Formats: sequence, C-alpha cells, structure tokens
Amino acid sequence: MFKLDRKFLIAGTALALSATMLFSAGVKDALDGGMTYTRADGMYSSYHINEQNLTGINNGRIATANELKAWDLDIMPDGTGLPEGEGSVEDGDELYEAQCASCHGEFGAGGAGYPTLSGGSMESLKNQRTAPGMEAPTRTIGTYWPKASTLIWYIRDAMPYAHPKSLTNNELYAITAYLLSVNEIKIDGVELDDEYVLNREKFLKIKMPNEDGFYPNIDGPDGVENMRKFFADRATNIGAGKRCMTDCIKDAPVMKIGHEITDVSPAYGTTRDLPPKKDKGAVSEVQELYNANCSLCHKTDKMGAPATGDKEAWAELMEKGFDKVVFNAIEGTPNGMPAKGGNVDLTNSEVKKIVEYMRDLSIDKK
Amino acid sequence: MKVKAKLKGAVVKVKAMFKSPMAGTEEAEKKKIKPEYITHIVAKHNGKVVYEVSTGAFVSKNPLFKFEFKGGAKGDELEMTTTDNNGKTETKKAKIK
Repeated sequence: MFKLDRKFLIAGTALALSATMLFSAGVKDALDGGMTYTRADGMYSSYHINEQNLTGINNGRIATANELKAWDLDIMPDGTGLPEGEGSVEDGDELYEAQCASCHGEFGAGGAGYPTLSGGSMESLKNQRTAPGMEAPTRTIGTYWPKASTLIWYIRDAMPYAHPKSLTNNELYAITAYLLSVNEIKIDGVELDDEYVLNREKFLKIKMPNEDGFYPNIDGPDGVENMRKFFADRATNIGAGKRCMTDCIKDAPVMKIGHEITDVSPAYGTTRDLPPKKDKGAVSEVQELYNANCSLCHKTDKMGAPATGDKEAWAELMEKGFDKVVFNAIEGTPNGMPAKGGNVDLTNSEVKKIVEYMRDLSIDKK
Repeated sequence: MKVKAKLKGAVVKVKAMFKSPMAGTEEAEKKKIKPEYITHIVAKHNGKVVYEVSTGAFVSKNPLFKFEFKGGAKGDELEMTTTDNNGKTETKKAKIK
C-alpha cells in the first residue's frame, strides 16, 4: 500500500511539473490555492475546461438588449440604476409607521422578530457573539451596511414584505431618508431633520459609517488583485498556519458553561408502577360522563351554554320540551352545541341520561 | 433621543426612544463601563407636565416609551427631558403633528 501511494505521488509530481512547464507563461496562482486552468484564448480560469465535442448541442441564443435591460435592475453604489425622485424624512416617517413599524419596530429599533434597523455600535461588531458582559454585535444600517445603494435597492425590490415593489420612487426616497435619519447618518455634514428632502443628487453623496469596515477592497478592476494579495499572506490575514491547542484566546472573554450537570439529585426511580388511584368518592356513572363531556362548557355560562344549576336558563330551555332538548343535545345546534357534546362515542341513551342529570340539578323539584 | 407626537382625534399619542445603555452598577461592572441609566423622564406640554416617570437600570437599553394625553393641538410643542444617574440632562422639543 505504501509503495502504491508513493508511486502515485511521484507520478502526480511529474504530471504537475510538466503541467507547470506547459502553461506557466502568464498563469497566476488561483486565489484560494486551488488549480488554475488555461483557456484557448490565453486567459485562465479556476474551472476545469470541458473538452467534450459540443456539436449538435443547442446552447440557445444570445439574450437581446431588451431582455438584458429587463433583468439588469440592480442599484449600484455609483448610481447605476438609481431612480429619480425625492422624499422627505417626515413623509418617510409616516410611511414607515404604516408599512414597516409592525415588523421592524418603532424608530427601527426591532423587537418584533424581524431585523433591527437602527441602534447598536460599530465597536460591538468586534465582540464575540456570546461573550458574557459584552454588547452583542448589532448589525444595523448605521453600524454595518457599507453602501446606501443596497438599502434603497432592497426596499424597492423586497419591501414591504407583504406586497413588494408597491412603493413609488418618491416613497422609496422618503423611507430611505427616514431610515438614514433614525440611524443618525449625516449627508454632506447635514443632519437629517424632519424637513430634509432626499433626492438622487443628495443620495449619491451619502457615506455610510461602516464603508471602510470591509477588507480587502473587492470593488473595481483591482478587486481580484487585492484578494490575491490578501490571501498570499494567510498567516497575518486569516490566521492560517498557526496552530494552537491550549489557551489560544487570551484577551477576549469566552463564554464557558457555568454549572455543568454532573449528577441528578434525587436519582431517577426504578419502580415501574403507575401512581396510586385516588378515591373519588361516590360518583355515579352519569356524573362521570357529564364531567368528561359536558362540564367544560356547561359548568358556568361563560361559554354561552346554559349552565348546570342556572334555574332561569333551564326553565327557559325546558319550555321547548324535554324531548326536543335531548334531540338538540344529540344532533347539535347551530348556536354552538356540538352533536353529543363533541363525543360521538356516546350513545343516544347516555346523552338522554346526561340531560336528565343536568335538568334535575337545574330545576326546582316539585 | 427621538420623539414623535401625533394628534389623533382629541388624543396626542407620543412615542419616544432614549439613547442610554441603562446599565446599573452590576451590569456596568460586567461590561466594564461606567454605570449610566436614566432616572427620570418628564414630558411637558405648554409648561404643564403631562407625563412623568421614574426609571432605573431595570429598563432595557435604548428604551422606548409610549403615552397619550388630551388637550394638545397641532403645532404645539412637546418638551421631553431626561435626567440620568450622573446628573446629565437632555431635552428635546417635538412639534405635535
């Protein structure tokens, strides 16, 4: 087995060497340390090139300009796709309260199970999520989002949750302005008060607080090279290459289990008996049936049913005649009485007995 | 501090959010910060107190308060003042809409 492995290893090295010699001209290492494949046109790719014969395979047609336009809807940080329009913080406040606050909370403070949009601090982003005694990282528009274009784009395409794409361009600007104002973001040094009107021109001047919080910079034509440089120094940038087995985290507090369960006290029992039956006293069969099937609604008049013992209600009921009442109890009524009290296993005669029992408790004996 | 006051019928509905860690001694010790919490909140309408509340570290961080009062009119000014345990006060005026 060992010999076989070595054989493969040697063969593999030889192959790799020859491959390097063949394609070395102009080929750069893959970003993540993986393979790089050269293409026929002198470019390179991180994907294996399929050399299968493609004749006879229908690859469809090239998309038309209009099709691309209908698909290319994103709003970019440089203003591509950003609509014209204007909206004030005050209008946004009103729209937010009507359409957003039910999920995102007043002032974007969250709390209703959906993302928190304001508050938190950028310093908290460096904290461990579960560290005790520390503010958990709060990723909101003001602390985390690097670009405002993402905000207006997301609102336009995905919000409000129940009916997305229903906002006009002016409403979009209004809500965006409101969200920026609750996050205390300034545009060109100007605070966003109620009367502030946001439009396309002002929108392009927004600089988000966390714009420089992401690294390396992957935007623009140098993005790939920045990534390559970043990954080249793995030890410093992502910590790979250093192994640590004990006391690895020194400065940051780490959550530990405070009270581990080591024993169960008192110990689990080993007897398999059922709990002893309680003596219920003298309970007749019909009373038991009543308790099981009817008392839930008929014990009091809270559920709208004639309560057992309520003489007035039963006197009124008995005006219909006893047989009619029994019939109703068996068949149910549209007023809410389910057939046989909801228990179809009861026989008609049992129902009759229960009604008799309830009647006897509820009318004056002659 | 963010204050929103709205007239609905005869009632002014006020929502206010205050910025404070609301950390008492114990919490502040854990978080290694100075104890800081709002102890008193007053809302005045035309010089008349319409809402007054004593708070403490039991209230959540950046707390949100809601209350209603009668007798306000559109355009009136509502003045809210908070005092914290360090004696720092903060005042904000909001127009009733």
